[in-house]
Amino acid sequence: MTGDERLGPPPVEPLSEAAWARVERGVWAELDAETAPIRVPPGPRRWWAVATPLAAAAAVAALVVMTRGRPTTRSDEPSRVVSGIAPSSVSFGDSHIELDAATALVMSHEAEHPTVLLERGAAWFTVAPRLQRPAFIVHAGDATVRVVGTRFRVGRSEERIAVEVDRGLVDVQFRGSVVAVGAGQRWSSEAPSRIAAIAAIATSPPPAEPVVGEAPASEVPDNSQPEAPGPAPRHEPRPPRPSATTGRAEPRPGAARPNASDPADPGTVDRDRAEYDRLAALEPRSPDAALAGYLTLARGTSRWADPALFAAARLAVDRHDRRAETLLGIYLQRFPGGANATDARQLLARVQAEQPDRR
Amino acid sequence: MPTELNVRFPVSASREHDLELARRAATGDRAAQRDLFIEQRANVHRALFRILGSNRELEDLLQDAFIEIFRALPSFRGDSTLGRWCQTIAVRVAYLAISRRRPPTVDLALVEDTVASDSDLRRHVQVREATRRLYAALDRIEAKQRIAFALAVIDGKSLAEVAELTDSSVFAIKTRVWRARRELMRRAGKDAALKAYLDDLEGGES
Repeated sequence: MTGDERLGPPPVEPLSEAAWARVERGVWAELDAETAPIRVPPGPRRWWAVATPLAAAAAVAALVVMTRGRPTTRSDEPSRVVSGIAPSSVSFGDSHIELDAATALVMSHEAEHPTVLLERGAAWFTVAPRLQRPAFIVHAGDATVRVVGTRFRVGRSEERIAVEVDRGLVDVQFRGSVVAVGAGQRWSSEAPSRIAAIAAIATSPPPAEPVVGEAPASEVPDNSQPEAPGPAPRHEPRPPRPSATTGRAEPRPGAARPNASDPADPGTVDRDRAEYDRLAALEPRSPDAALAGYLTLARGTSRWADPALFAAARLAVDRHDRRAETLLGIYLQRFPGGANATDARQLLARVQAEQPDRR
Repeated sequence: MPTELNVRFPVSASREHDLELARRAATGDRAAQRDLFIEQRANVHRALFRILGSNRELEDLLQDAFIEIFRALPSFRGDSTLGRWCQTIAVRVAYLAISRRRPPTVDLALVEDTVASDSDLRRHVQVREATRRLYAALDRIEAKQRIAFALAVIDGKSLAEVAELTDSSVFAIKTRVWRARRELMRRAGKDAALKAYLDDLEGGES
């Protein structure tokens, strides 16, 4: 390296927009959780000081629920609703909104129209027939959905929008054009001029996430927590296809998957678990993307690095990828006593035995 | 030569802009928080990337850094630019992360396909390999020394800037950089490529 050939400092490699979207979503979710209206103070000290007002508040809330059913938002000023890790629901006038987990929306009235601004995530809207009343409107990015009485779902991931109609008819206005989406149909900003039938989609490989959009799964809110109750997603992720090599599906139950909880950093582990499950669901449709995702996950230090690296290696073997042997070797070097080590050794032996044929 | 950060406003206007944005974001104004996030994300990313050496595991650290930034916003007084202030927090987050972690034993970046075929390929590969060796060596030196070296030598910041970012004295930074350099040179004794790259970095402008 002479003066003329100076390499200089390494370039700062940019982060992908999808990664930034994940970071941003995580930050807002954390901030939203911190600003939750009711917090239980730690420790037993002065419990009576908070117990009295809490009891009073609970009594008022119970009274409201008993007299009015589900909480109903005020209609004369904007209200922002944010769901946490579990789905939630809210009434808006005579309409009902079921929010997926990690969804945020603002409800208001614009020129007498009940209006919802979907900031992120996805929600089902059940709107009573409007008859002579102003249309119900949902804004999501550049898309505007006008409703005259129906049940429909809107999903948003950044600027990608998807609308799915269960009953009735909605008009979707998007960048100057308007399309009508009827019952059993779905529209996406990815293909704004095309209306697809939900039934047709249901027979195709399912999306990795329950959000109806065609946005990359990595950019949509994480709804993969199996314990989260709430409205069932339209498309349940199918188990990935069985491995051609091992004869069983990944992710495997039992030893190949680490425990879901990690006292050291549960947030990271939960994210990694969700990412692993997403990749497993993605594998049948897009094995290359899944393999790349597994490798990214394997570079981490969470417990999911082990199954992710093995899954990458196994997938590479299935696809006769030339990296298979290298990946298996790295797996065994990194996790010699790992949950998949026995399988990895068998696969490696098989790959090495097949080498003459490959060449 | 390190890339210069964009300076969008004259100093006074910039300070007013920073203070106003911080004030609004600190009140929970999501639009302001988003503006701040968009404005500062490159700044924060750059600081973390320089210290950690790659984008691996950086998403979690970016998230941690921004959460810390938003939590600390009420304390922002405009004594430094918002960008510098955010980088200070990012450096602190990086320090905690480095202090906690164990160095990885295998660099999976090695198994990625290299598909480029243009004339810069050789140089790209050289930089990548040299960077890998450099950060592998940095993984094994003390966190404060690593941060001082990364910011001063790799990123090209002045000792005074690094001192401000790490809440240390210039003398302390100078000492840490010197010690880091001595340790790296010791490790480079058996690694000619690393030694050449260290010479290369030291020979550049800073």
